[in-house]
Amino acid sequence: MIVSVILIPFITGILVPVIPFQKRWQKEVFLETAVVLNSILVWYLLLHHSDSTFLLAHFTGNLNISFRVDGMSMVFAGLVSALWPFATLYAFEYMTKEEHENVFFLFYTLTYGVTLGIALAANLLTMYFFYELLTLVTVPLVMHTLTREAVLASRKYLYYSLGGAAFAFLGLIMVIVYGSTTDFILGGVLDPAKTAGKNNVLLLIYVMAFLGFGVKAAVCPFNSWLPQAGVAPTPVTALLHAVAVVKSGAFAIIRLTYYSFGTDFLQGTWAQDVVMTIVMFTIIYGCSRAVKETHLKRRLAYSTISNLSYILFGAVIMTPLGLVGALTHLVFHAVMKITSFFCAGAVMHQTDRHYVHELNGLGYKMPRVFGIFTISALALMGVPGLAGFISKWNLAGAAVESGNPLAWGGIACLLVSALLTAVYMLTIVVRAFFPGKDFDYSTVSDIRDPNWKMLLPLFVFTVCIVLFGVYSQPIVDFFMSVAEGAV
Amino acid sequence: MDFICNFPFFSILISLFSGTICSVLPAKAAKAVNRLVIAAVGLMSAVLLLYLLSTGESFIYWMGHFPAPWGNEIRAGVLEAGMALFFCVIMYLSMAGGAHKLPDEVVESKHSLYYILVNLLLSSLLALVYTNDMFTAYVFVEINTISACGLIMIRQVGRTIEAAVRYMIMSLLGSGLLLFGLCIMYDLTGHLLMSNIKESVALIMANGEYQIPLIVAVALMCIGLCIKSALFPFHAWLPDAYGYSTVSSAAILSSLVSKGYIFLLIKIIYRVIGFDIFNSTRIIDVLFVFGLMGMIFGSLSAIKENDIRRMIAFSSVAQIGYIYMGFGMGTQAGMVASIFHILSHAATKSLLFIAAIGLTDVSGGSRKFIDLTGAAYRNKWAGVAFTAGSLSMVGIPLFSGFISKLLFAQAAVQVEGKMLASLIVLGISTVLNAVYFMKTVIRIYTSEQDAPYKSITFRDRKAYTVVLVCSILLNVILGVSSQPVVDMIGQGLAMFA
Amino acid sequence: MYLILSSIFFPILAGLFLLIRYRTPLSGEKRAIDRKALTTLTGIFLLITAALVIAALLHAEEGFTLFYLTKTLPIYFRIDSVGRLFSMLAVIVLPCAGFFSFEYMKHEERESRYYGFYLLAFGVLNALCSAGNLITFYLFFELLTMTSMPLVLHSCSREAVMAGLKYLFYSLCGAYAALFGIYFLYQNCDSLAFTADGALRASSIVEHGGFLLVTAFVMLLGFGVKAGMFPMHAWLPTAHPVAPAPASAVLSAVIVKAGVLAIIRVLGMFGRDFLRGTWVQSVWISLTLVTVFMGSLLAYREPVLKKRLAYSTVSQLSYILFGLAVMQETAFTGALCHVLAHGFIKASLFLCAGAIIYKTGKTRVGELRGIGKEMPLTMWCFTIASLGLIGIPPTGGFVSKWYLALGSLKSGLPVFDVLGPVILLVSALLTAGYLLPPVIHGFFPGADYDYGSLQNKEPCRLMTVPIFILTTASVFIGLFPDSVSGIIAAAFTGR
Repeated sequence: MIVSVILIPFITGILVPVIPFQKRWQKEVFLETAVVLNSILVWYLLLHHSDSTFLLAHFTGNLNISFRVDGMSMVFAGLVSALWPFATLYAFEYMTKEEHENVFFLFYTLTYGVTLGIALAANLLTMYFFYELLTLVTVPLVMHTLTREAVLASRKYLYYSLGGAAFAFLGLIMVIVYGSTTDFILGGVLDPAKTAGKNNVLLLIYVMAFLGFGVKAAVCPFNSWLPQAGVAPTPVTALLHAVAVVKSGAFAIIRLTYYSFGTDFLQGTWAQDVVMTIVMFTIIYGCSRAVKETHLKRRLAYSTISNLSYILFGAVIMTPLGLVGALTHLVFHAVMKITSFFCAGAVMHQTDRHYVHELNGLGYKMPRVFGIFTISALALMGVPGLAGFISKWNLAGAAVESGNPLAWGGIACLLVSALLTAVYMLTIVVRAFFPGKDFDYSTVSDIRDPNWKMLLPLFVFTVCIVLFGVYSQPIVDFFMSVAEGAV
Repeated sequence: MDFICNFPFFSILISLFSGTICSVLPAKAAKAVNRLVIAAVGLMSAVLLLYLLSTGESFIYWMGHFPAPWGNEIRAGVLEAGMALFFCVIMYLSMAGGAHKLPDEVVESKHSLYYILVNLLLSSLLALVYTNDMFTAYVFVEINTISACGLIMIRQVGRTIEAAVRYMIMSLLGSGLLLFGLCIMYDLTGHLLMSNIKESVALIMANGEYQIPLIVAVALMCIGLCIKSALFPFHAWLPDAYGYSTVSSAAILSSLVSKGYIFLLIKIIYRVIGFDIFNSTRIIDVLFVFGLMGMIFGSLSAIKENDIRRMIAFSSVAQIGYIYMGFGMGTQAGMVASIFHILSHAATKSLLFIAAIGLTDVSGGSRKFIDLTGAAYRNKWAGVAFTAGSLSMVGIPLFSGFISKLLFAQAAVQVEGKMLASLIVLGISTVLNAVYFMKTVIRIYTSEQDAPYKSITFRDRKAYTVVLVCSILLNVILGVSSQPVVDMIGQGLAMFA
Repeated sequence: MYLILSSIFFPILAGLFLLIRYRTPLSGEKRAIDRKALTTLTGIFLLITAALVIAALLHAEEGFTLFYLTKTLPIYFRIDSVGRLFSMLAVIVLPCAGFFSFEYMKHEERESRYYGFYLLAFGVLNALCSAGNLITFYLFFELLTMTSMPLVLHSCSREAVMAGLKYLFYSLCGAYAALFGIYFLYQNCDSLAFTADGALRASSIVEHGGFLLVTAFVMLLGFGVKAGMFPMHAWLPTAHPVAPAPASAVLSAVIVKAGVLAIIRVLGMFGRDFLRGTWVQSVWISLTLVTVFMGSLLAYREPVLKKRLAYSTVSQLSYILFGLAVMQETAFTGALCHVLAHGFIKASLFLCAGAIIYKTGKTRVGELRGIGKEMPLTMWCFTIASLGLIGIPPTGGFVSKWYLALGSLKSGLPVFDVLGPVILLVSALLTAGYLLPPVIHGFFPGADYDYGSLQNKEPCRLMTVPIFILTTASVFIGLFPDSVSGIIAAAFTGR
């Protein structure tokens, strides 16, 4: 059962280029059905999960590839499987303008399986395995257009990701050698008897592994691949580079911090200070670069960089509340950022405009898209009543509660970043809706909102943003129980 | 003594004599004989391996039933048999994978000579693996050198001759040092058989006399073998030798010849000097440092390289560095990791060399990266194979490279003083590997619509493709079910003692 | 409960309705909008809203929780005396300025957008006044910025857009600084519901007292941005001149007061006793005094009328903040009196300026010679309002300044108890200096003035009546300060 949800996307993906579809809609129906079925299966699995571990294969020694559903996997797998069908729907429309569709959908669907693999992994090795695999299956997506830019971007992506994994690997080794098991157990698995006297080395390796996994989560200074990877088609940038891939990095860090090394071991050490400083710096850095950037998708990518570090900031507070904050932002940011990316994609698809200064006056022509974009912008800024406020509230609340002065500084970073978010998001909104007195409306006369395949995902996500914003209680409660290990 | 115990002797003998036979056969027949011999030897090694696993003990085989010190001994344990089997498999794959290129690379009249050299090489490798006698080892080291030189030179292009000369000089230097070491050792102990030397060495160490000459002897032998196996900084001969020889030669040289020497070194460490005594000297620290440096500098050179074959060759320097790092850790775990890496690297490197030739074939024979653009679309299987090999080198799970990395890292953690250095270098080296291998992979998958070269499909080159698939499978098998192999290595090392 | 909610949501829904119903046609060319229907509809909406607010004010209700944002964050509404006072200001100024704009906006494009956001801002302001805890307040504080920004950049000229963005970013900057404090307050208070005598837990004061002071200071600075406090006042003189005159009136009279309201709330949360005598108070008072003086000085040097009024707002708002910073009952009374007085006066002044611009197109003070002869009613109102701002009895400004000075002297603060009134006086002189010249030149253009060119430019009733009402209101406060003293006294104790 648990393996099948990983396998179905694999099989579906491989079948796409193999089956000779007569018409385009047949392929669409086939893909969408498979993806939706798989998502339903995932949700069924999550809701009826048992505590047992499913052992797929022995790897070497006492290492094995196994899967288990626990609280964290429920959050991540649930998120991914909820977003994927919509993103696929969106991709159908978007990809009408691109070539090599089959290859695209092959890898796009493979990625679904691999991401679920990361989410459902029961131990560090399995997660590491799927983590590496994720890099490999997403490279073709970045390379998709095969332009020089795309090739350079994918090259960089590969170097960074594989390089990062090399250092994350060191963390894996430490857990194998000094831990009692590699399984994920809330509170960590390090064996105090074995680690005695080796604390500093372990902490150093933790920092390295943090940065290693942090490459995918675009921690400064390893973030430059992400904006560059924006050359990929928008469904990829939206789903993978705002949700699946980058959040895998954050997810891996949470696993490493809370479930492998353990917060008791890390809290209050120099390692915590180091990673927190890095994360705080990234928060500010990402925003500042976003403000400077004039390419729409790259601007959003920088925004992602900053927001990912929000999640990591929650994670490195290393308290249950911090984990709650991190998880809240993990989920909420996914919805918010995918919305804004889809809006950007819709604009690019409908108008072929890529730069912020080209967006003047489009708000009147594409009121739905830009209306939704405005909502996502406000949510990202953290306006109360929308999802972003709740996650920021949880993050900041955790930081205050932790009593760590550095974390208090982190709150200031969050707020500065919120201000910068307002700068880079709202300038777009203002441009779109208030193009200036002498604006020539004839330049935008033949532009209109995209069709329902693009709009439906947008509407659904917008509803989610608002819903999470005003009624987040059940989901936050659930995160709390995850953080306390009750699920 | 069972009949099977004769197998090591047989296999050395068969390959030696088949070499002689090849000289009078026409090229086609020579090729058949060569394949047959490799297969036969492989089969025998496999049977031997099974036998040894079932008895669980190594045995010593007296050539001509003369006991030491007059007779010549062969020793076979799990490790030896396994190594022989593995060498045969790789050799077979390499020969089969490069066969279609041979007519282009070597003039028709030299074909039988080529097979002679290959057979000789195989026999010398087997002898290095099986021998229990230092002098026999030295003799076969020399035979190995000569046949390897021949393999490099046989292409008869200017650069290969230069490369062969360079290889010759460096190799002879190496064997010279080995001989010096051997002489001193003989002087100190009065024995040439490994087991006898070991006893005497233990005695010397216990008495505390002649320690410095002993260490000098050990050091000389080590340096000699390091030069021959191209440990950094003695790798200058390697890129040309691997880069310009024929495909099969390159694959064999990089995956087997240097490994043969390394295996001999392992044997010397365990069987001649004794693991503990060896570890108590400072030599392992030197090996460790050079290993680490090799990992970094080999990769850096590979990054700078603009020729795919030379790049793979430089990557070997880095991988040899890994192996010596394992030695340098001075623990059983480190040794296991090193031996596993010998296997994994051999499997991967031959795969890469063979895949690379498939890619250059569809790029007008050019090995420059700029010409390789999009090559993987023109030769799909070669592209896949090269990618698989690269991933293994980078250490992606499911491939053998990951397991060796895992073993190295696990071994490193257990060594107090060397842990951090080895872990960090391991990480950096992986990053560097990723840089140059992924650069190539992306290059070959970057499409260039109007490339002037013809494509090659499965139907054009069936044998070649099958070899590629087998190599990938071998790699994956090592990567997925590594536990039996690791256990076997452990068992073999236990038998050494 | 329903009265409060409807006073909030009716204008918001009405605004949204206007925005959607009269949205700009997709094709881009101007569509003839039925102007009369639009203004009538807006007028009706404004009146209904005003009625709803008044009804809500009259029927003092218990607080109620609308829903929970998270488990511990209720969206809670309660009208207390402070809120009531600010509500009163809004409910008078907003409809007046609204009716004024029906005439003023005649020639502007996209009128419907203006009215839509105007109503939205009205609703949000009502919500702000009836918010019962800090989170609810913060929610609408942010929304206020968002909904009032389109009013500022309505003309869509380049300066207007830049000014709008400047306003937006300054306000957000302040809001986020305040949010920083809210995070800490949340952890150190039992509840975020408003109170006037400190909600901090005693244990927290002992443990984190020093840090909480920093937090308080950050919050004061943050909310101070909206109230134009030095050093974050720069948005005010940029935003006011480019906005349409009625929008500037609302901005200057009511919206900036949201910052004042916020600061009153923050003071209540931390408790005056906690802050009194600390470095926070000293620094804060210094900042307000600097702002008072600097604002007047800048206004004095400013030739553009609306910009001059904007600087004047900067200065006058800090009168209010000074009164709050002294943390003494009389000064508090003065401050709240000044909220009302300044609100009415400044709205009236801006509307006068708007009327002048509308009729004559003159924006600079130097051009206003003889204007009093052309627009007598407008200029008379302008004169009375100016006298009020300077603080001449019997106008509202006199009462509030009297209490401010008195409170300051009573407070017993070192240095500031005397320095404060002195600076207030100097600033009053400067106020006279920058407001009276237009009046004098307007009515006494001098002997060489060409009286023959004079025309009757008095604007229509839609403009003069609101101005008149507002001016009257400001005088009323001065004549009958007792009418609000009860509510202010209640406000001081937090009822």
